[in-house]
Amino acid sequence: MDPFKNRQWVIILIIISVGIIFSLRLFYIQVINHDWSKRASQISSKSENIQPPRGFIYDRNNKLLVGAETVYDIYILPISIRENDTLKICELFNFSKSDLYEILDNSSNGFNVPYKPSVFIKSMTQFEHAKISPYLGQIPAIFAKSKIDRGYPHSIASHLLGYIRRIDDAQFKKTQASKDFFYTKNDFIGITGLEKQYELLLRGKRGNINYLKDYAGNNLETINKTPPEPGYSLKTTIDIELQVLGEKLMSNKIGSIVAIEPSSGEVLAMISAPNYDPSLLTGKFFSKQFKILKQNDSLKPLINRPVYNDKYRPGSIFKLVQALIALDDEVITPNTRFTCNKNIIGCHNHEPPSNLVKAIKNSCNPYFFQVYKRLIIKDNSKNTFQSSREGLRTWEKNIKTFGFGNTLGIDLPEEKSGFIPNVEFYDKWYGKKRWAFSTIYSNSIGEGEIGVSPIQMANLAAIIANRGFYYTPHVIKDIKDNNILKPFQEKHNTCVDEKYFDVIVSAMNEVVNNGTGKKAKIDSIEVCGKTGTVENKTFNDHSVFISFAPMNNPAIAIAVYVEYGTWGSKWAAPIASLMMERYIKGSLSEKSIKKANKISEAVILNQNTQF
Amino acid sequence: MSYRNLSIWKNIDKPLLVMYFLLTVIGYLIMYSSTYKGLNIEDIFWVSNYGKQLTWIIITFFLGFFILLLDGSFIKNTAYFTYGIVLLLLIIVLFMPPIKGARSWFYFNSFSIQPSEFIKLTLSLALAKLLSDVGSKFQDFKTKLKAFLLIIIPALLISIQPDPGTMLVFTCFVFVLYREGLSGNFLLIGFFTVLIAVVGIFLKASNSVFFIGETSISGNVFFGIILFVGFLFSFLIIRYFVLPRYRKQKIKRLIIISVLGLSISGGINYVYDSVFSERHRTRFQIMFGIKEDRKGAGYNIYQALSAVGSGESFGKGYLKGTLSNDKYKHVPEQNTDFIFCVLAEEWGFFGSILFISLYLSSLIRIIMIAERQRSKFTRIYGYCVSAILFFHFMINIAMVIGLAPVIGIPLPFFSKGGSAILSFGLMIFILLRLDSERKVVLR
Repeated sequence: MDPFKNRQWVIILIIISVGIIFSLRLFYIQVINHDWSKRASQISSKSENIQPPRGFIYDRNNKLLVGAETVYDIYILPISIRENDTLKICELFNFSKSDLYEILDNSSNGFNVPYKPSVFIKSMTQFEHAKISPYLGQIPAIFAKSKIDRGYPHSIASHLLGYIRRIDDAQFKKTQASKDFFYTKNDFIGITGLEKQYELLLRGKRGNINYLKDYAGNNLETINKTPPEPGYSLKTTIDIELQVLGEKLMSNKIGSIVAIEPSSGEVLAMISAPNYDPSLLTGKFFSKQFKILKQNDSLKPLINRPVYNDKYRPGSIFKLVQALIALDDEVITPNTRFTCNKNIIGCHNHEPPSNLVKAIKNSCNPYFFQVYKRLIIKDNSKNTFQSSREGLRTWEKNIKTFGFGNTLGIDLPEEKSGFIPNVEFYDKWYGKKRWAFSTIYSNSIGEGEIGVSPIQMANLAAIIANRGFYYTPHVIKDIKDNNILKPFQEKHNTCVDEKYFDVIVSAMNEVVNNGTGKKAKIDSIEVCGKTGTVENKTFNDHSVFISFAPMNNPAIAIAVYVEYGTWGSKWAAPIASLMMERYIKGSLSEKSIKKANKISEAVILNQNTQF
Repeated sequence: MSYRNLSIWKNIDKPLLVMYFLLTVIGYLIMYSSTYKGLNIEDIFWVSNYGKQLTWIIITFFLGFFILLLDGSFIKNTAYFTYGIVLLLLIIVLFMPPIKGARSWFYFNSFSIQPSEFIKLTLSLALAKLLSDVGSKFQDFKTKLKAFLLIIIPALLISIQPDPGTMLVFTCFVFVLYREGLSGNFLLIGFFTVLIAVVGIFLKASNSVFFIGETSISGNVFFGIILFVGFLFSFLIIRYFVLPRYRKQKIKRLIIISVLGLSISGGINYVYDSVFSERHRTRFQIMFGIKEDRKGAGYNIYQALSAVGSGESFGKGYLKGTLSNDKYKHVPEQNTDFIFCVLAEEWGFFGSILFISLYLSSLIRIIMIAERQRSKFTRIYGYCVSAILFFHFMINIAMVIGLAPVIGIPLPFFSKGGSAILSFGLMIFILLRLDSERKVVLR
């Protein structure tokens, strides 16, 4: 009847096939392929890091060394800049038009995209922020985010504390490679000192917040939030008062002071001169200031000399070690007598070194030449080259038990090992069998090829104060993590028997009372010390002094190194004395205050520093 | 007469009625979700989008009830009249102030009427009447011309508004005419035209990206050559394998097809270069995935696909969409043309499949209803309804899932818009009324 009735099936077939095509397409977009789903979450949600506040650093009496200061990062969101905003922005921040275009360019290229805010002024101070904050509300494209920057209530101990800096590309890649995903490109990381050493503790744990956002990027709903864990605050062994005094004494000088509590190895003060104000390396002027300190200052104020400068020759303070090893090796006794023969090695005029105490008291060079000779050439029957080799090997081994020639393991990342010359070194230097005692005798008085860092010198003072052992010097005091403290609680013994120390201690006491270190005397305290004068061919000799006090139950051991300080007793001894007086008595006498002022005013500089 | 009215409930097609109610309810729920910003009781009525939509649905049901009380022959006999009235409105609307660049709306205080939505309904009735009239044979050229004019006049008026989406829907009547005896060649020609056009545009669009150089042949010329070789090959097949007495006829057809094919291909070339603006070209490139421009012209489709894709298998849950919801507005036009995103995002793949099945089954149900009529008028009208709904569905969903370029066209029963809700609703109610009289021949 109806010739076209069957055509309904064609139409139904078309309808069904469209349904099948759509279903397959939906199956692909919704079930098989997850790209669109991923894109959807990129579009609709936003994840933001919450930066944890960095841990503080306190001194041994819980006084704040490094705290926090609120600063403001100013962000720009290029996509929401309105027509009249450019002029307002230029006026507000004192930009020229081209400045602004450059900023906009930077915030739209590379890692930045115009619809995401990016920082264009970093770490604005509270004061500056207060000036612009009333106008920020009028420009939706610009907003400020507060941030905690490092604040230094005392402006001291810059080397020890170290500084933090925005992480650079190389470091960022390094952390990512080592599966450490803490940092964003806008984060700070410890670069030197304690900030670097305890970075993992100080930085805390990052929090996270996930938002749902609308088409314009406004956060509408929080999906979930993990609060950040603030960084751990460090308690250090530093004594602020002592540190302040030390920095005052070392002003206008080059060198260092290290003070250690002998019974624990805790570092009480560590001064590197010249120093710098640690707050210079914070905030928006970081790069500018850093450039000045790093490149334009020939005195290299950024170097932490107490641990980093291991090329210092120790000078006469090394005689103490020689004497101790010689006593222990039984090549001398306290009563051994040598003549002060200035033909072998230079010396100053003093009473004859009829025993060890007198030799130390007057720092007699020829005496220790002989001591060192006995240490190196023990077996006269052998060939001198051969016996020197053997002697040096034993001597090197013994010397190293005093913490020389290796890093002590202080918790500062800059520590260097120092150098104790050994057989291999001289073999390379002179050739095998081309050297003997006569070649290397300057080691006897702490000259020659020996390199010692000030922390090692202070450690020597601590060893003698302890009569034969030391704890690794350290800056960290109390910490929850026992693994960090463990190496600092381990007692290190020297090769020398305890009984030999008394004579050295009394000799050091003599040095201060009647010998070369008279300037280190403190009223009513028995001080032990040893001066050193390190030869310097280009300018004045360097002034060295190690010391501890009181003689019995020592509370403090100290090493002072003043470059170009002429001789040991001139600058180093009085500085050490003032430090010890301040620490033991809790304050300085009036006379001492005058002395301290005088010392701090003295300028001892030479542009040709060793580094 | 009164007997018929009493038996309306007995004779009404329940499956279609249920499907219509289901689609309307689901459509409203989705529309509600798309505008949902958190519940606010005061918003439920006229003020809010979903309040307005609900009001329109109630109006539709109310008018639908009256339609069920009407007489089938009355509907048939007033077909030209209603067609004429809406046509008049289509002319008047061209003098109204434009909204979003188109003169499509009569704008009253808080609502607007879009006559182009109603012309679909009245045109269906008029077309059904024309073709079912005693004495008119579809084979006659005169009838064909009349039908063509009936369709093309409103289409042209709508193109003046301009509203290309609605205009495109008018091509759906090819299906109706096909059922009534239009040569199947038209469907095939239509299909191949689309195919050649798609391939041609794809080659042109990709050409501008991939092919550079003076000596190399552009993709489009290459395509033309392939078409030509194909036709030549077909010619040889006819020459050697077809019986001589059919040859002349077949070759004649082949020549027509060849000329048509090549001219379409060439026409695309010309239109793409000279008629299309850069904006259109970009749109095509985005559609074919040659270019990604997620911030500019490709924004809508990128956001829509993300929303659809994020639904995954089971969806995020009702009212829990985070892209297509009005609160977040990641998908533009999420309560009108892109409303399917809401369903796909919140109900997932399985929800979408159920939706497609329900929609298409109701279309097939309408065809089944049309086929069981004694009255030619109702049959043709039924096909019109099915074809119109099918085209809306096909173009709208294809656009949302990235199979067609972005064309503004509503999804019946879902998209926000009173005129559309009313017009599509009445279409169904009229069909139900006419169907209830399936046992008699309308006069």
